[in-house]
Amino acid sequence: MTIAIIFIFLGLLALALTVYLAKGHLSKSGDLEKLAIQLRPVDVGAFCNLICASEQQYLRDHLPPREFRSIHRERMGAAVDYVRCAAHNASILMRLGEAARQHSNPSVRQAGDKLLENGLRLRLYAIQVVPRLYLSMAFPKARPTPDILADTYDNMSRQVVTLSCLHFPTHGMSSAL
Amino acid sequence: MLVASYYLWIAPHILLGIFLICLLRRRLQRQLPIFVGYVVFELVQFTVLFTIFLHSPFPVAIYKWTLVVGEGIGSILELGVIYELANELLLSRSTLGSMLRPVLQVVLALLLLGAAIGSGAFSGISVQRVNNIFEMINFSSNLIEAGMVLALFIFARALRVSWHSWVAGVALGFGVSASIDLVSAALRAQWGERAFSAVDLTQMASFHVCVVIWLISLFLADRTPPFPDEKLKISDLELWDQELQRMVQR
Repeated sequence: MTIAIIFIFLGLLALALTVYLAKGHLSKSGDLEKLAIQLRPVDVGAFCNLICASEQQYLRDHLPPREFRSIHRERMGAAVDYVRCAAHNASILMRLGEAARQHSNPSVRQAGDKLLENGLRLRLYAIQVVPRLYLSMAFPKARPTPDILADTYDNMSRQVVTLSCLHFPTHGMSSAL
Repeated sequence: MLVASYYLWIAPHILLGIFLICLLRRRLQRQLPIFVGYVVFELVQFTVLFTIFLHSPFPVAIYKWTLVVGEGIGSILELGVIYELANELLLSRSTLGSMLRPVLQVVLALLLLGAAIGSGAFSGISVQRVNNIFEMINFSSNLIEAGMVLALFIFARALRVSWHSWVAGVALGFGVSASIDLVSAALRAQWGERAFSAVDLTQMASFHVCVVIWLISLFLADRTPPFPDEKLKISDLELWDQELQRMVQR
């Protein structure tokens, strides 16, 4: 009886979740111009500063422990916001990359491929980095995150510029990043 | 009731035939070849079962064993289609392939464990051995299918990977059908033979819904925005120049 009820519940849950998640794939808006407006500016330099180990060590050495913990929490909170913005921008740039992959020019297709690949990589890193930043908030001794996320974001920005350079309409995305 | 069961048995297969024709006309068979194989197999299985059904006197044993063997082959093909969908969505991308393959393997292992537990718990659904084999294959394949499709959709959402609409439709159809069949298999285990005809009708209806979803998704236009070869505009050049300057300063 109990196992039957569990599987009935799991089946209904799977049905509801599948329909909910599939809705996004089937009703995706194709207007990149509108998406370009949704890009959020990300200051890669400021993000690097927030997660910099030497910066963290400097604050630890020069601040009382209580104040350091409070400031560290705020810094990690800000870093989480940066990562979320970068991941959000990555999802928009991935759409640009997907569109570029259908272009007739092989150079544009190649640039689109690279953009898509970096977008995926950045989103994967973001999924891994956010919990680590929260962990660092709770335990300030934990090293928050490697700089790879900032590098990947930087690569993506460069690829959008490359696309603009290849006559591909980027709707001003490169300037919004 | 009889009319409804005939309708739910025949109509989805007619729609499936139409779907196959449209698929082949658009030359989409190269994108998901195992799925096309599955559709062809479903149509062949229906033709064979319907022919046996029309035979007089009705050969019950032959019909049941054909159904069991068909369910087994169908389940293997369905798993193949899930692999194909996973490949199309995630594994073909170099970055994701290496990272997500082990995660998907863990999900599959957990689902197999769940299927084994469920099959063990529901082993006494029917006194007839052939019915039991059918129910176990049906339940296990539906659990694995529903779980894997859900896992694929979760990964796609988390990573914001977009599918072509018809491929997403194929996955949605499988997910909806497998989830409903999973619920009905559990109901059949709970209420036994009393629920057999109601559960059969539910499963046939779910397959009908699945085929309708496939057809609709095939007719939906590809939503990826087209990008014609536009001439380079001065504004684009200016933006490019600004961006280059910004990068040089960084």
